[in-house]
Amino acid sequence: MDEKLKPRGVSIVGSMTPKQFFATYGSLIGLIALFFVISIIKPNFLDIGNLINILRIASINGLLAVGMTFVILTGGIDLSVGAIMGCAGMYSAYFAQQSMGQPAIVAVLIGVVVGLALGLFNGVIIAYLKVPPFVGTLGSLGIAKGIMFLLSNAKPIPSLTPEFKFIGGGSIFGGNLPVPIVIMIIVLAICFLLVYKMRYGRYVYAVGGNMNAAKISGINTKAIICSVYVISGVLAALAGVITSARVTSGVTSTGDGYEVNAIAMVVIGGTSLMGGRGRLWGTVVGILLLTVLTSGLDFLGVNTYYQLIIKGFVVIGAVMLDGLNQD
Amino acid sequence: MKRRRIMAMVLALVMVASMFALAACNSGGSSSTADTGSSAAAVDEGSSAAETGTSAGAGMKIGVTYYSLQNEFTVRMDNAGQAYCDENDITLVSYDGNYDAATQLAQTETMIAEGCDAIIIDPVDAEACAASVEAAYNAGIPCIGANAMVNSDVLTSYIGSQDVLAGQDIMQYMIDYLGRDDFNIVIIEGPMGQSAQLQRLEGIENILKDHPDITILAKQTANWSRSEAMTIMESWLKSYDNIDAVMGENDEMALGAREAIKAAGKDIPCIGVDGITDAVTAIQNGDMIASDFQNAEAQMIKAIEVAVAAANGEEVEDFYWIPFEMITPENVEDYVNKY
Repeated sequence: MDEKLKPRGVSIVGSMTPKQFFATYGSLIGLIALFFVISIIKPNFLDIGNLINILRIASINGLLAVGMTFVILTGGIDLSVGAIMGCAGMYSAYFAQQSMGQPAIVAVLIGVVVGLALGLFNGVIIAYLKVPPFVGTLGSLGIAKGIMFLLSNAKPIPSLTPEFKFIGGGSIFGGNLPVPIVIMIIVLAICFLLVYKMRYGRYVYAVGGNMNAAKISGINTKAIICSVYVISGVLAALAGVITSARVTSGVTSTGDGYEVNAIAMVVIGGTSLMGGRGRLWGTVVGILLLTVLTSGLDFLGVNTYYQLIIKGFVVIGAVMLDGLNQD
Repeated sequence: MKRRRIMAMVLALVMVASMFALAACNSGGSSSTADTGSSAAAVDEGSSAAETGTSAGAGMKIGVTYYSLQNEFTVRMDNAGQAYCDENDITLVSYDGNYDAATQLAQTETMIAEGCDAIIIDPVDAEACAASVEAAYNAGIPCIGANAMVNSDVLTSYIGSQDVLAGQDIMQYMIDYLGRDDFNIVIIEGPMGQSAQLQRLEGIENILKDHPDITILAKQTANWSRSEAMTIMESWLKSYDNIDAVMGENDEMALGAREAIKAAGKDIPCIGVDGITDAVTAIQNGDMIASDFQNAEAQMIKAIEVAVAAANGEEVEDFYWIPFEMITPENVEDYVNKY
């Protein structure tokens, strides 16, 4: 049964078997349990300062997962997000140097345009030139890295303007709400509108669920597929810009391996790698779960090698719970 | 289907249980070490405590973020640090930065929230990790750089080894080893832009200034990696037939180059920096002529001592230099059982 056909805002629990309930809310329950366990062992985990730290990290790394959700909903994959993040971060840092004398908005826009261009490149080769997403984005991973090294010559770019650094390190509302969280809230609001309130969202699900049916019903499937890679590229670029601003310099290693985390966040949130089935709010839970887990295990002082093992089991466990819904 | 559900439940339970166990282990572990630590400190009160002056650190909590905990050098630092802290009743919380400046910054913020008395940072990047130092500074917590430099003027103190000296040491040793100064070298470099790469190269070039007849045939980065160095050396061996010596900016790369040289049936002397276990073995069996040992243990212990002093409000120096030690075939036995 297709859950997205269900009416929203109605008591969902009532109409679900326990099995469906677990499959849908397992990750959320896991997240709450995790908070509970960590804060019992270390009560100062719940300090408002620490929670804001966690939300800020979740906001930056989560941008990749939000974009990745669109891609995976169409049945694709984007392995280039980490590299796009690094590349866009480096280009925006280049234009944010004090010696360049550019306003922060120029640096941000250049970063975003780099991400848009790389995302569009992904979209075109996958949607129109029929390159499989796995291979296509693996190729652009290397291309993005190379373009980044060409600019930076493998050296970090320091001394950025204070206005630019504000995007990553600053806070508004009397210093209580970090800018990256504000950006994430805006991005999420737009994406929820796209997915749940506009035709675009239904088209994305339709393309991922059954490409032929979508085509026959008159959806421009190629344009839809192309567009999800553009969204992914732009959001990855945004994450890169914020990261450069936060660590106050462009660094070549930014984003290395982040694509794996982004994919994990999406699948933990219950989106199927086969496409057509999933939920954006699930990705939000996945983002929070992985970030709280990482931060919490650090907080508890758990050995880094055990952390890798635990995170591996969590990803597998979450997907396993979700799989139960498919029987 | 029912069986699968039960399986899933069981696995989920195991996961939760293991998390509890790990957490319990961990908190239990640190409290028990604290107990034994205090008694140990009481037993040998005079000797180590007076000598190092760290009895002042008892009960303190120090956080350390390494650029990674997935390589031998930082693990050596961490082992030495943990052992030292156990002896002195200090809690040392270690974080793996995963080669990512943003991760190290997040970890620094966690340490601040957690209430660490001092923070030690072994940065992945000199520029980007300045943000971590600033965060600690703003929270009023002393921040000590260890092993690799951070470009920040609010860093409390820096403990490391002078990489320029390492570069000079290995170049001079190679000249003495060959007994002449009119030969051709190749240099295998660390990741471009990293302070160790820049400074070790500077050290090599300092010596070359006084020996104009030594020619650099080629230099290329192998990113500290043995396999990358091997690939580079293979192509150099094809394009140059007059290489007299290989200068590795670390041991891994010197060892990789040596593998390529052996595979080509040649014998060109290789030298490196760090003194890792494999290099010690290689010096024993003649595969490397020497390695400049970077004392991870001494760096970390000094960093903790300085962190404790700074947390107690004492004046500390801006820099503490831990000297490199050249491991040669003559003294290699002293290093065999070092770890």
